[in-house]
Amino acid sequence: MSRRFVVALLAGPVAAVLLAVGVHSARATAREGESDPAAVERGRQLYLTGCAYCHGADGGGTSQGPDLRGVGAAAADFQLSTGRMPNASPDRQSVSKRSPYTRAQIDDLVAYVASLGPGPAIPDVSIPPGDLQEGGQLHLDNCAGCHSAAGNGGALSLGRDAPTLHDATPVQVAEAVRTGPGNMPVFGPETFTRKQVNSIVLYVEYLKKPENPGGLSLGLVGPITEGLVAILIGLGALMLLSRWIEPRAVREEPPE
Amino acid sequence: MSDDPQERRATYRTALAFGVTAVASVGLFVTYAFGGQEQIEGALLAVALGGLGFGFVEVAKHLLPQGPYVEEREPLASSEDEQLAFAADFERGEGWMSRRGFVVKVLGVAAGAIGLAALLPIRSLGPNPGNSLFRTKWRRGALVVDEQGKPVSVDTLEVGGAITVFPEDHLEVEDSQTILIRLSRSDVVTRSGREEWAPQGYVALSKVCTHAGCPVGLYQQQFKKLLCPCHQSTFSVPEGGKPTFGPATRSLPQLPLMFDSQGLLRARSDYQEPVGPGFWDRGT
Repeated sequence: MSRRFVVALLAGPVAAVLLAVGVHSARATAREGESDPAAVERGRQLYLTGCAYCHGADGGGTSQGPDLRGVGAAAADFQLSTGRMPNASPDRQSVSKRSPYTRAQIDDLVAYVASLGPGPAIPDVSIPPGDLQEGGQLHLDNCAGCHSAAGNGGALSLGRDAPTLHDATPVQVAEAVRTGPGNMPVFGPETFTRKQVNSIVLYVEYLKKPENPGGLSLGLVGPITEGLVAILIGLGALMLLSRWIEPRAVREEPPE
Repeated sequence: MSDDPQERRATYRTALAFGVTAVASVGLFVTYAFGGQEQIEGALLAVALGGLGFGFVEVAKHLLPQGPYVEEREPLASSEDEQLAFAADFERGEGWMSRRGFVVKVLGVAAGAIGLAALLPIRSLGPNPGNSLFRTKWRRGALVVDEQGKPVSVDTLEVGGAITVFPEDHLEVEDSQTILIRLSRSDVVTRSGREEWAPQGYVALSKVCTHAGCPVGLYQQQFKKLLCPCHQSTFSVPEGGKPTFGPATRSLPQLPLMFDSQGLLRARSDYQEPVGPGFWDRGT
């Protein structure tokens, strides 16, 4: 193979990757540095209609909803894009659902909330690139306690739960890490570097389709389903089998 | 072969089952020889063993003679001749023992000595835990580091953040694992004597549950509660780890903290009470 041919062969994919990275970072900067006054104004109108009842007309919060000044674009984007906000019953845990807003409306709302005060921007989940192994370790140390080692979520106290991670997009995972929505702790830039967050994101993505050595996963929720199957199906089958091997003995009348 | 059609059918079934075992075993060989595939090998092994088991049961149920068989118990009492013979034997032995009294005395000494020697393993029990259950690796001035060994500074956690920390040079020492949580300073409800223990809202609690010793790692930021995943004991972080729900009755011990002149977090001392579940001479 001639050298020129090899170069030509490589040029295509390399150019495609560079283009993708360039487009992605351009989009990320646009989102991070969002200060388009028109978007903020559109967002404010939406905010006054849909959010102000709980969060206050100026975003300062009420007894129904927290102060949004300084929560940042990341928190707003997480809550809105996962459909957790708007939330009709603030006394209960807000769950992921289909958002009533379009993506453009969410961007406007995010721009408005971001304009209320300095806060974490929407994180870039590809730069710097994460490391899957580091992500696995960080996940086990910091996330698995509540979200389970397989990322399936789990129960908490006081009627709350840690949701499954499989429905979250990479950006939403990073936003949750940075902003600590609901009962989740906050992991700020001094706790995890950007690379560490991206490693976690990479690992959570991996958990959506982990290597599977075979067998029924039973939802990968641990001893509850596994114990149920072992007791009902396993023990039940063994009992039926033992009945088949040796049917109930016919009692002999003792000789007179 | 018997002419009884039922027995003949059972014989066929048994032969078929053993045949299946043979075929599956050969299949297992072949699969293994051609590189192997765990699921297929496992299934073939299950079929091979299952065939063997089915065949055995068929033999036992249909081909072997069926019971019930009754074995009469022999009379318990010995016959008179046996009793007399035993008495004669006994007297012979007794006579020897009374003639050789010295040997019997030596035997007594030997038995006593063995009894004393048998007491020796008691000495080997232990080692005595001493005060190791009362202390952890935390010391006055010990640097607080995260799971990667990185020191914790004033800015490491944001309000609402939580990480697991260890004393420097003692990463992964179970009894020293500590959960470090940052509260807003107004949230900390200090107990008397602990006014200085939580600088800048940094509260450090032992991560070993006081109920059964599980790691209490589930921090519910909104409620500022720590939840133990094993038995749902719940502890209030602002109130110094006070139990609010579940089987735990004692507070999680709180580690006194301070910032040094470089802004790095250090322990003021070891925990001031034993960490983890109760033990019998723990005291209150």
